[in-house]
Amino acid sequence: MVEYSLKKFAQLLFTVFGVVTLVFFTLRFIPGDAASAMAGDAISGEALELLREQMGLNAPLLSQYLIYIKGLVTFDFGVTITTRLPVADLLLRALPVTLSIAVLTIVLTVALSIPLGTLAALMAHRGQNGLDNLITGTAMVLDLMPSFWTALVFLLIFSLTLGWFPASGTVSFDAPMDFLKRIALPVLVLSVTQMATMARITRTAVLEVLSEDYVRTARAMGWSEMRVLFRHALKNASLPIVTVIGLSFGNLLNGTVIVEFIFTIPGIGNLLINGINSRDYQMVQTLIVFYALLFVGINFITDIVYRALDPRVKF
Amino acid sequence: MTQNTINTPASPGMAAPATAWLLRMGKGRFLGNRKARLALVILVPILLLTAFAPLLPLQAPLETNLRAMMQPPSLAHPFGTDRMGRDILARTLSGVQISLFVGLSVALLALVSGMILGTLAGFLGGIVDRTVMSIVDIFLAFPSLLLAIGLVAVMGTGVVPVILAIALADVPRFIRLQRSLVLSLRSRAFIDAARTVKARKSWLMSRHILPNTVAPMLVAASIAAANAILVEASLSFLGLGIMPPVPSLGNIIRDGQTYLEQAWWISTLPGVVILAIAISFHFLSDGVREALDPRSRQ
Repeated sequence: MVEYSLKKFAQLLFTVFGVVTLVFFTLRFIPGDAASAMAGDAISGEALELLREQMGLNAPLLSQYLIYIKGLVTFDFGVTITTRLPVADLLLRALPVTLSIAVLTIVLTVALSIPLGTLAALMAHRGQNGLDNLITGTAMVLDLMPSFWTALVFLLIFSLTLGWFPASGTVSFDAPMDFLKRIALPVLVLSVTQMATMARITRTAVLEVLSEDYVRTARAMGWSEMRVLFRHALKNASLPIVTVIGLSFGNLLNGTVIVEFIFTIPGIGNLLINGINSRDYQMVQTLIVFYALLFVGINFITDIVYRALDPRVKF
Repeated sequence: MTQNTINTPASPGMAAPATAWLLRMGKGRFLGNRKARLALVILVPILLLTAFAPLLPLQAPLETNLRAMMQPPSLAHPFGTDRMGRDILARTLSGVQISLFVGLSVALLALVSGMILGTLAGFLGGIVDRTVMSIVDIFLAFPSLLLAIGLVAVMGTGVVPVILAIALADVPRFIRLQRSLVLSLRSRAFIDAARTVKARKSWLMSRHILPNTVAPMLVAASIAAANAILVEASLSFLGLGIMPPVPSLGNIIRDGQTYLEQAWWISTLPGVVILAIAISFHFLSDGVREALDPRSRQ
């Protein structure tokens, strides 16, 4: 176990190093350079030269790279070009917002998709394909709806027409109830687009278990349907579900960018889009690296948890 | 099998036998497949409308009409009009053209480069394999939309950067799939059989391994096309993809966001079209898989 984790961790470090290097050199490929791209047509000549100097673009590439790596390791990501605030501070302020959305989405997705997936499997097992097809079909359509469109449709129905959720307002942890109300709709939108995969996995896993001999034995022993379901089917289905939670985390991060943009929620996704629009490469560079780290970190943890849970996997 | 081989022109390489095989095996079963037919029922009308959009009695996509601003759907404007009196259906159909172009270009780019690099990695092994696969791992460390966003931030907006950005985010998955297909085929019995009769490596590759990777890669490509259409729409919606005034499904929906309450049709109706295209590509990939895989008979 420990040996496997260490080996995986070494691989992780290598990938992280690759990510950091790739992002650095990609940004150096901007036509012209980051300073002139950032300034646009606004400044030229000496002022541009000064900006270059400030951004450290006049130093040799290797030393720029080393400064960048040192900055990442010491959590000093530089300052934004527009507001001159430290990028690290902005990131730390936005992160809890995005993470709350992500965690609540995972909770709601699990709460919605496991009962639906199990129900679909039960129906399919009994040969009642009508309800099974309805659930499976709906899940597929929800999965293929572009998340930004789903968000607008939900906004139109639940906020603007029915008035159940506020469409705008400040987002602050000081007022937890307001905060929850504000992120409720984004979380609902993300869960709806995420639940398809998990419902499908649950359905397959439960359906497979239901036709096992030991389930027939349990039924023959007079166990109630519920007991069979919980003791055997769901217990065995839990492993693939854990894996899916981990694997769909990348999709979830993609989705948070979209909903933060639509619902103007001050998370890291909004920071990223604003960063790109104001050509703030310091910010964009840091955030892209950060998203990648978050993603590979979660994948690493999922892998380890999966191996720890599954008695069949030997180290 | 034999009479078909006679009809096949004797062109060199793997392309001819593979395509002939695909057509021979695929056509009847593809059209006989329920999902494939459903996909065509959705896709063909959209394609026809898109192709013949200029002949329809609609305004041109960029034409404004200040006397018909924010009109709800009607016979003259089936999808309504926007704040400048532009016809949403005409704009949507023009956007579909770009969407399909982006989707097919990305699928083709990812398919071809994935097949080449994946085959090299899987067949040569050793240092080539390790190098290619560590680069693949690095690219897969980014959530896909975020990688595309990052790349567009560097390359700029427009159709070509969008295609390149989405394709770059997709290629690693295709390399990985092709490599795993090549590796698993290499250890199959029919390859051993060919080896025992002293088949050359190039023969094994072109006659036995590559043709067998085509079907799963095509399935992956049609999913990638659907996905690319969704990603392009997302990028354009975020204002990082195809920029106005050129209409794309994403930027039409973005335009309508401001007027969601007064003019719901601007944002919602083009989205239905994206959804319909995505669903049809999804069924198409299921149809291709079921038609080409002899083991998955219905």
